[in-house]
Amino acid sequence: MFLKPLQIPAAKASHFLRAAEAAARAIPPAFPLEATIAVNPFLGQTTEDLAQTAARLGRVAGTALTPPRSRIAAQIAAGEVNDDDLAAALIACTSPLKPQDLALLKARIATEAPAPVALPTVAELAAGASDTDWPAIMARSFGLWAAGHFDRGQALWTPRPGQGAYAAWREWATHDLTPEIAGLTGFCAHVATAPDTAERAVLRAVDRLGLTVEAAETAFHRLLIDLGGWSQHARWMLWQAELAGESDSALTDLLAIRLVWDEALLAHVPQVAGDWQAVVAAHAAPVSASADQVVDAILQEAAERGYQRRLARVLAGPAQRSGRAAMQAAFCIDVRSEVMRRALEAQDGGIETLGFAGFFGLPLAHRAQGTDEVQAHLPALLQPALVASSHGDASAEETLRIGARAARAWGRFRQAAVSSFAFVEAAGPAYGAKLVRDALALGARPLPQGPLPQIEGGLTAAQKVQTAAAVLRAMSLTTNHARLVLLIGHGAQMTNNPHESAYHCGACCGQTGEVSARVLAALLNDAETRAGLAAHGLHLPQDTLFVAGLHNTVTDAVTLYPDTPAPAHAEDLARAGAWLRAAGQQARAERALRLPGAAGETLARRAQDWAEPRPEWGLAGCGAFIAAPRKATAGRDLQGRAFLHSYDWQADQGFATLELILTAPVVVASWISLQYYGSSVAPAVFGGGNKLIHNVVGGIGVVEGNGGLLRTGLPWQTVHDGTKPAHEALRLSVMIEAPTEAIAAVLRKHDAVRALFDNGWLHLFALEEGQIKARYRPGLIWQPTSPAHPAA
Amino acid sequence: MPDLSFLSLSPPLLLLMASLFLRRPGCRPGHLPALAEAVMLASLGLALAALAQLMLGGPRLVGLGQALSLRLDAISVTMGLLVSFVGWIVVRFSRRYMDGEAREGAFHGLTLAAIASVLVLVQAGSLPVLVLGFAATGLVLRQLLLFYPDRPEAQRAAAKFTRVWVAGDLAVAMAAALLWAGFGTADIGMVLAAAQADALPLAAHAAVVLLVLAAVLKTAAFPLHGWLTEVMEAPTPVSALLHAGIINSGGVLLITLAGLVQQSAGAMAALALIGGLTALFGALVMLTQSAVKTAFAWSTVAQMGFMLLQCGLGLWALALLHIVAHSLYKAHAFLSAGGAVQVVNAIRKPGPVAVPGFGAVARSFGLALVLYAAVATGFSLVMGPKSAQAIALGAMLIFGVSYLIAQGLADAAPGALTRRTVQASLGAALAYFGFQVVAQAVWGQALPAAPVPGPLEWALIVLAVLSFGLVAVAQALFPLWAHHPSTAGLRVHLANGLYLNAVFDRLSGGFRLTSKS
Repeated sequence: MFLKPLQIPAAKASHFLRAAEAAARAIPPAFPLEATIAVNPFLGQTTEDLAQTAARLGRVAGTALTPPRSRIAAQIAAGEVNDDDLAAALIACTSPLKPQDLALLKARIATEAPAPVALPTVAELAAGASDTDWPAIMARSFGLWAAGHFDRGQALWTPRPGQGAYAAWREWATHDLTPEIAGLTGFCAHVATAPDTAERAVLRAVDRLGLTVEAAETAFHRLLIDLGGWSQHARWMLWQAELAGESDSALTDLLAIRLVWDEALLAHVPQVAGDWQAVVAAHAAPVSASADQVVDAILQEAAERGYQRRLARVLAGPAQRSGRAAMQAAFCIDVRSEVMRRALEAQDGGIETLGFAGFFGLPLAHRAQGTDEVQAHLPALLQPALVASSHGDASAEETLRIGARAARAWGRFRQAAVSSFAFVEAAGPAYGAKLVRDALALGARPLPQGPLPQIEGGLTAAQKVQTAAAVLRAMSLTTNHARLVLLIGHGAQMTNNPHESAYHCGACCGQTGEVSARVLAALLNDAETRAGLAAHGLHLPQDTLFVAGLHNTVTDAVTLYPDTPAPAHAEDLARAGAWLRAAGQQARAERALRLPGAAGETLARRAQDWAEPRPEWGLAGCGAFIAAPRKATAGRDLQGRAFLHSYDWQADQGFATLELILTAPVVVASWISLQYYGSSVAPAVFGGGNKLIHNVVGGIGVVEGNGGLLRTGLPWQTVHDGTKPAHEALRLSVMIEAPTEAIAAVLRKHDAVRALFDNGWLHLFALEEGQIKARYRPGLIWQPTSPAHPAA
Repeated sequence: MPDLSFLSLSPPLLLLMASLFLRRPGCRPGHLPALAEAVMLASLGLALAALAQLMLGGPRLVGLGQALSLRLDAISVTMGLLVSFVGWIVVRFSRRYMDGEAREGAFHGLTLAAIASVLVLVQAGSLPVLVLGFAATGLVLRQLLLFYPDRPEAQRAAAKFTRVWVAGDLAVAMAAALLWAGFGTADIGMVLAAAQADALPLAAHAAVVLLVLAAVLKTAAFPLHGWLTEVMEAPTPVSALLHAGIINSGGVLLITLAGLVQQSAGAMAALALIGGLTALFGALVMLTQSAVKTAFAWSTVAQMGFMLLQCGLGLWALALLHIVAHSLYKAHAFLSAGGAVQVVNAIRKPGPVAVPGFGAVARSFGLALVLYAAVATGFSLVMGPKSAQAIALGAMLIFGVSYLIAQGLADAAPGALTRRTVQASLGAALAYFGFQVVAQAVWGQALPAAPVPGPLEWALIVLAVLSFGLVAVAQALFPLWAHHPSTAGLRVHLANGLYLNAVFDRLSGGFRLTSKS
């Protein structure tokens, strides 16, 4: 073999490959739509603050990371943000570029910051110089390849499986004549002679494009951003591989592909070489925030302080309650539960609610009926440890699968080349009836539910007791159990919505909470579990019955699953059903006010309407995370904007539960909050685009219109009601009722979590007796708050 | 007081409703969208009333004199019912779907105007009305395709659409002028009657060529299909309306003028060739498309090609059946395209697909042909003998059914699955031939019978049956070769639609930078 030695010395080569790795880590993963969850779009930037990240993403993505200044001007005018908030935000800012005083800061509000412009790619420079839209041509050609390569079953004829992305693309691009027809003569030959591995291709391109080590990281980041959601999908593949202890190279492959394109375009339009060298020099300059970006970050913080001040007013101290509750109901911490919990508690003084992540602490994967595949039902940060199966007996399972396979054969008959004509002539007229059925919402599917899932292989008595004890402690549900304890997961019923899983339970990895709730209820009712709990210091009354339920967040109907026969509780269950129905009605009336064109009684219809772009608001509006006993928030109207986690620090031995809360639910909540933030302030980069022109691709995601780049994040309709934003872009305010030293001790142990607070991606407050006592400042510092300005 | 059919009242009613949106073109135009749906339902009612009118009074011409007349006959009423029905579904869908859009009212107005234009088109009784109907449909659709005018892709798609559509309009207009001059009448019925009387004059021959050209352009047939596969830039209801209503205009044009077109053996051969080629081409490209709406668009290209093939074979009633069946299917496909994530996910659930080997494929074709012989003989005994063209078409369709049987005959497939697929195959064959009988009964009277095949026709029939048969065999054996390295290049070329679109873009400046106004 006559492999040409690389022009770059090994030491330098490793610098470039490290830069490629860093650029890959700067991209957030995007989970496929079949089970999608919210991801923090700034996952790769959590070690930088907002202004610095704005500078970085301004350079590589051309996007601002804060709302226009007109928003805060309006908030000041409306009294939602005041001078105290602005002053406090200004004081808290540590940048030397910040305005000298409040007056100067306020003067800056009147003029908008200039819109950031990303440094151009070679393709963009070439487009300007040759009047050919190279970025669009590349997006089309690359998008067509990527759609096929990452397809999970849409097309009947997919590319040969088993190839890496770079090798597969080379096979594609040596045959694809589109770039040559568009004028990029010799592109197929260029690809055919490109290096055989992605790493070698990156290094050759670095050489040919004249990239310097200093310029490489943001130049690579720029190119990965240019591939839109495809690079985020590849980042997800890396995420999944690393969760399983493996690795995946698709993202480096995509970078190599993109570099091979720019290499070819630079050779094709050599007159842009000078401009390109200037761009390389700009990439080499360190990323640093401009004065405008610093001002925008201060204004954003001021808006958040305004919200915190208003929230503090609502949190005016704990309510008192005593005695055994008639019924307890544990809901997911999801902000949508807050409305329902408040409504349920309003039905009777004897009702108590709790909040806990909707997977209820069970590390489950689930094997649904009719399939051997398992689906994770736990936060994406964790790896499943147990498999719950809903398989019935062999013959039922067989019948189900034959049915599914016959349906699949019919589907292939519909899709395949010659048979599609026979299909249309034989079955087409029947679609007239289907059109009527779907237009009138006569065939809407309810939320899927199967038989009670069983843990595969079963659990020993000791495992049962251990799991149950751990869950009860994590839920702070250790004493005072009611006769009836409901464990209520959630899911969203909707029709014809590609983003359906985004509305399901994020803690269950984009599935409904049904499986986790039912498995836990069965476990806690199990005689062996109950017998062993006392040894763990947990004394459950004999008459306590756990019943699972599922809260449909579109209709606010709650389905109960009385899987454990309990004739003695028939009356309790009937009463619970009545309370839940009444609470649902109240919650619907409250939620309908926020949904355009809705009334309480029409919400159920939104779940069944195949044309509904806004079945519900999901977690839009989320602004706070409160971990405290429910008495700190009971009876307060938190407007469906707060994650509520039940936590009693006095019962938390060694603060193990506190550590769990800060490292799991808080991180998940930050991902949700920042996804809404990113999709609101930077919709072009981190938003899912316009639902009305979505085109589902490969079963994994959507593109807009004809094709091109995958769009990840939340669609515009999810964060906007058509006339005004449905989500106020705020970074989450985390409030924890626990001693400050204990919280600081946990942060000291977990650098990644601490970075979120130190760099302002989350705000942190310590509560005492339901009121804010101290605000966290970067560097493990606690700033006591005064009663006059609780959130200052 | 002019003589009117109920169906002729629909377009003015819809345009009146559309005009109400002129004053409320923006976001959430009050109760107007609900009123629009009511008006669409009224339009559907008018179409049903027109059906009653036709059954009681028979076919006739209505409207304002000979030059501006509308037809009331089996074809116009069928299409009127179809378009009104799909229109109602689309308008109802849009009521929720478009809620909160900045140009919500304008969208509803344009949709109603588009439906009105197509309704005029399908009942055109005279050549000027036909020309006007096409032109109006194109104008309105262009506005809908540019619903997001700032998207460069939308600008490109609209530009491409406009070029092809206007070229088709010119062809129709020239054909109309030639016919008017040649036969001395603008009335379509009189043109058709004159065409039957004796050999076609030269002008009429030229007109038929232009009509075929227009139909080829308007049904997005090979090689100028590109405009149809790129119009997902408009909201989903537009795609539904386009693929279930507007795209049929080319077929309606041919079927309306069937008596004239069939007089030209060359035109019929051209239709059969272009149609058959487009059908196979579109269907093969569809296999490679991973974006659901794009795959549907290629499917429409293929289905319209198949419809042209049916026209070219003189199976006019079946072509009309295909239009109706395809419209209903495709409207549903587009409107429910949001479910593709779940559909794809469900495909993987039951485990790997059982791959049929050579033996299974051979058995399935044998079984399918036996099935065909049995069903066709049964129907022939009841309904009388079939034309050679109809028998050939049935064979092509049965090749498709054999694919369904092959999946069940795969060695790895359990017996229960085999039974289910054979049952489904039998059901499909019965349904197909059943609908064929109905189509012949309903529309056969109004349309010419298939010509007695001469050498040219026989050649085309054999060519069509062989090529469809070949592709059917390849498709049944698909898993055995689709991932072979030697076919990788073929897949790339097909996924790109053999680059015809890219060439069109290059020639028409579609690759240039667009102004981001």
